[in-house]
Amino acid sequence: MRDKLNIEATSRTPAVVFDFANHHMKISGESYPEDVTEFYRPVFDALDTYLGKLGKGTCRFDFELIYLNSSSAKAVMMLMDKLEDAAKKGAAIEVYWFYDKEDDTMQELGGEFGEDLETAKFHLEKMPG
Amino acid sequence: MSSDDLFAAEEQIIAAAQELLQNGRFADRVDGKLFEELLKDYQKLFRTTRRLMRLSDRNEEQLNALTHEQRKANELIAQKNKELDALATKLSKYLSPQIYHSIFTGAQNVEIISSRKKLTIFFSDVVNFTETTDKLESEDLTNLLNRYLTEMTNIALEYGATIDKYIGDAIMVFFGDPESKGVKEDARACVRMAVAMLKRMRELHAEWQELGAEKPFHLRIGVNTGYVTVGNFGSDDRMDYTIIGSSVNLTARLQSYAEIDGILMGHETYALVKDEVDAEEQTPIKVKGFAEPIRCYKVLGLYDDLVGEGSVIREERDGFKVLLDLQKRDRAEAIAALEAIVARLKQ
Repeated sequence: MRDKLNIEATSRTPAVVFDFANHHMKISGESYPEDVTEFYRPVFDALDTYLGKLGKGTCRFDFELIYLNSSSAKAVMMLMDKLEDAAKKGAAIEVYWFYDKEDDTMQELGGEFGEDLETAKFHLEKMPG
Repeated sequence: MSSDDLFAAEEQIIAAAQELLQNGRFADRVDGKLFEELLKDYQKLFRTTRRLMRLSDRNEEQLNALTHEQRKANELIAQKNKELDALATKLSKYLSPQIYHSIFTGAQNVEIISSRKKLTIFFSDVVNFTETTDKLESEDLTNLLNRYLTEMTNIALEYGATIDKYIGDAIMVFFGDPESKGVKEDARACVRMAVAMLKRMRELHAEWQELGAEKPFHLRIGVNTGYVTVGNFGSDDRMDYTIIGSSVNLTARLQSYAEIDGILMGHETYALVKDEVDAEEQTPIKVKGFAEPIRCYKVLGLYDDLVGEGSVIREERDGFKVLLDLQKRDRAEAIAALEAIVARLKQ
């Protein structure tokens, strides 16, 4: 398995930095790709491979999204499901949802996503700075 | 209808399903377990649907707010553009139309930059302007001068001149930049313009006398073709689009040597326009900065005009060119010369 997955941000897609060696994943920026499936497929594949070998290990996943469209929201929910499944299998998963302090929408959305996580530990926090 | 009402049917389905499970209606435990899993998936799907609908509504709301802001911004931009247009129109009166056009279309940058070009330059000055207008009131003088400059400017623009500057009653224009029709055509346009200006001046004499000028305006005009440096000169804060060089100074000198209501051309201009301009060489003039005396030519008129007046006979075909200038030679002399040619042709 490779050590890292790095996808640079564009005006429509978020930056993806998966540091598998340090068990730290991060998605940040805006997400409204022209083709959500095409953009998120390699992200899902990389995460599946990583989580499949994580076992009872620990993993931190940060979401720092400024804006996302409905299709991207579905993709985020699918990522949450994968993390929740890994947690149920024994991994120590920590999910951080960072929101802009002036963005109520993203705060509420993060809260709702967190409600679906029963085993993975969810943190709702303001973006630093 | 609240958003909760939208999902009343789904809520009822979930409530009914939960009741079935709680009442132990499933005799088969496997079936009961399967039903429970199915209900759980249904509830999750239901939550996802509501969440996506809310997100979609919020995004649409934000989009509408942005559209509204954009519309207001567009209105503000349109208003500012209108103000800018009005300001640009006012400013344009301080610039030659060609220069204004070059700057506002982006063809020319407003920066200290210059280039060397061959242009035809024009200088005109009102003879004894101060003496002529000495007894006029300030308002009358302003009206008279502005009327004169307006008339001359209209003619200059009609012929495609770039107006460099007004210096009191003096006018300086040039041909060949920023637009050029070629050095020859630029020189021709300049001389044609000078002739048209003198013609218009004659028409205006009566009008000016009525306005109170005891003596009508008379002009001296100098025209010269040569290399000059053209561009923006000055500082970053205040610059002029103008021309500099010895040809410019020479044009001013030619103007000062011109006869009253006359046009004096340099040799290069003469060489470029002689096919359509009748001119007479004058005694060369000594000009400061030039080692040799400068050859110069007095404009007698445009051949097209002179043919109309009958003072010139002109016939021109391929390989055949006859020009009889009856201002310079009398008819008998012309007839004798032509008869000599005919005799040679018959030999």
